[in-house]
Amino acid sequence: MSEPADGKLAINYETCTGCGLCVLACPVDVIRMDAATAKPAIAYPRDCQVCYLCEDDCPTHSISLSHDISNSRRYSTYDEFGLDITWPK
Amino acid sequence: MEGRAGMDILETDVLIIGGGFAGCWAALRAADLKATVTLVDKAYVSRSGASTMSGGITTCPLDSDDLDIWAEEFVVRGGYMCDQRWTYQLLERQRERIKDYIRWGVPISRNADGSIRRFASRGMVNVRGMQYQPKVAMRELRRQITARGARILDRLFVTELLTADGEWPTRTGIAGAVGFDVYTGRFVVIKAKRTIVSTGMIAMKGTHRVDNDCGDGAAMAFRAGGRLVDMEFTFGGTFNVLMKKFDFPSYNVAVAHGARLINARGERFMQQYDPQRLERSELSHVVAAFAKEIIDGRGPVYVDLRHVDDSYWSDIAKLHRGGSILLTDHVPDPKSNPLPIEPTWGLWASGRSGLQIDLGARTNLCGLLAAGSVAKNDATGTHASAGSPTAFCKVSGWHAGETAATESRQSQHPVISRDVLMMLQEQALAPLHRTPTRKTADDLHDDLARLEASVVNGMILNADKLTRMLDTTEAVLDAGRASRASDLHDLVKLHEARNVATCSGVVYRCALDRTESREQFFREDFPLADPTWFCWHGATLAADGKVVFDRQGFPTEGIRFAPQLPDAGGLGPIGAIVRGEHEALVHA
Repeated sequence: MSEPADGKLAINYETCTGCGLCVLACPVDVIRMDAATAKPAIAYPRDCQVCYLCEDDCPTHSISLSHDISNSRRYSTYDEFGLDITWPK
Repeated sequence: MEGRAGMDILETDVLIIGGGFAGCWAALRAADLKATVTLVDKAYVSRSGASTMSGGITTCPLDSDDLDIWAEEFVVRGGYMCDQRWTYQLLERQRERIKDYIRWGVPISRNADGSIRRFASRGMVNVRGMQYQPKVAMRELRRQITARGARILDRLFVTELLTADGEWPTRTGIAGAVGFDVYTGRFVVIKAKRTIVSTGMIAMKGTHRVDNDCGDGAAMAFRAGGRLVDMEFTFGGTFNVLMKKFDFPSYNVAVAHGARLINARGERFMQQYDPQRLERSELSHVVAAFAKEIIDGRGPVYVDLRHVDDSYWSDIAKLHRGGSILLTDHVPDPKSNPLPIEPTWGLWASGRSGLQIDLGARTNLCGLLAAGSVAKNDATGTHASAGSPTAFCKVSGWHAGETAATESRQSQHPVISRDVLMMLQEQALAPLHRTPTRKTADDLHDDLARLEASVVNGMILNADKLTRMLDTTEAVLDAGRASRASDLHDLVKLHEARNVATCSGVVYRCALDRTESREQFFREDFPLADPTWFCWHGATLAADGKVVFDRQGFPTEGIRFAPQLPDAGGLGPIGAIVRGEHEALVHA
């Protein structure tokens, strides 16, 4: 079963072997090893910076990650100026 | 309660805080010189910080290159605001570090004949860079360090430098650092004969996608009396936001392969601003040109990848970290559609500002060295070309490790009183035991990040604006003193907010002190460059809590390239572009 976390980051526990490489990979401590299940858990989904290091390092391709950034504090200049970003055809 | 049951006290010859390129090269060199080495990182060394996340471009001088030509380009384009001895040291030593990469088998982009594929670095005509795989390089560095017997402490968050006299700022020097284990809360004291900070850049959390570069090392060094220079040059930015919400992978890599920027009319607008280097101009010029296009109603701006060479697509597939948005169906096919792109602008310096170091990577504080992006890169002046920041990480790290190991042989560990250690432990862990307050760590980071909301607004500074920004950082520091951390993860974020606020406060104070405009720094109330500001601009914390500014001239003896400077300053490039007076720039 996949377990979505904040809709951004999910681990497929059917294929996850619990090797913990994703826990090491996360620069911002989003993923922690769950002692009870001996599998990684998404402990702090809000802080995911969508860097893909966990997905890249997973040897069984058990992590899926949305490209939507969950903790973004970015601001769009296009919103500030009310600009439509569609490429004119 | 977490972390209140005593402390671990470790001793080492050389302590290195931050395990990116700079810290790893320092560890490698110090261990080679037989020092005992302890390398700590708040994340996991080889997957932490900007090095792992970088685009993988580094300056690539080979034995056959005439370094005088390369050095001249760095010195001249950097406005002569550098130490030319550092420029030559950077280039000469970088040659050796490239050979290390080759020997270790780090993947490097190559031509069909097997030679290293080199390209003109962004902003440069003569200086060449190369593309390699930073993740593999970081993993190999960890392997090399471990093989040399250095101790690595992952997930250890350093909260403060240890001073020999128990005073902040110190009158005697640095004697190590203290922090806590991010998983267990155990308080750790590391006594060191020499300490190297290599914690990377100063940036807001949540705006640049390298969320653990919070200026931790710069902030704790400043609190201990470390001299920061040119902090107002921390302002910078790059094109990193695609379609208002996706992360665009490395603008520098894209333009090295022929990516263009076009406005809503399909015009390659950089032809107006820098017809020679176009999108490869200084980033401050390109971002200012973006702002001008938007202000004048020619936005949005699109990145046009229809003309890139084939190697771009193979490089981002092979050399980049996975998941490049350009290779997914979340965006229209970039091979046939220009995609809306925009820059961020704010605290984002790699080498333009930071702790000043000498040729041996020593700071002004006895016992403290610095390397990488936390240090001022005195090899390149105001212009840090694509590739030179990572070259500086390798070379300054190498020198820091060498100096620290050598000097540690003649040093002893100072005696630190138990009372001082108990006080530092209390300061580090106290937020865990507070009652909940209105502002959480996330709220504080939100308040800070809002300071750099608008690119157009953020490039054009004035005294009123800077004073308001400074007030916000003071408010964040005040609120943070009462904020509660819900757990150890939250405690890290709370300390990070304090460090971002400390650094950004110094940036805004320095910006208020600098009464001119120059390169990426523009004040509409002081729009002209002032020749009296041709100097290093230092900031140091005094014992009474005030910030003391100083100005120091650049070395003049024995330099290769004598400064060619106008007697009177002109309009800085940002001012020239946004005011539509950039013709002077084109012909400069």
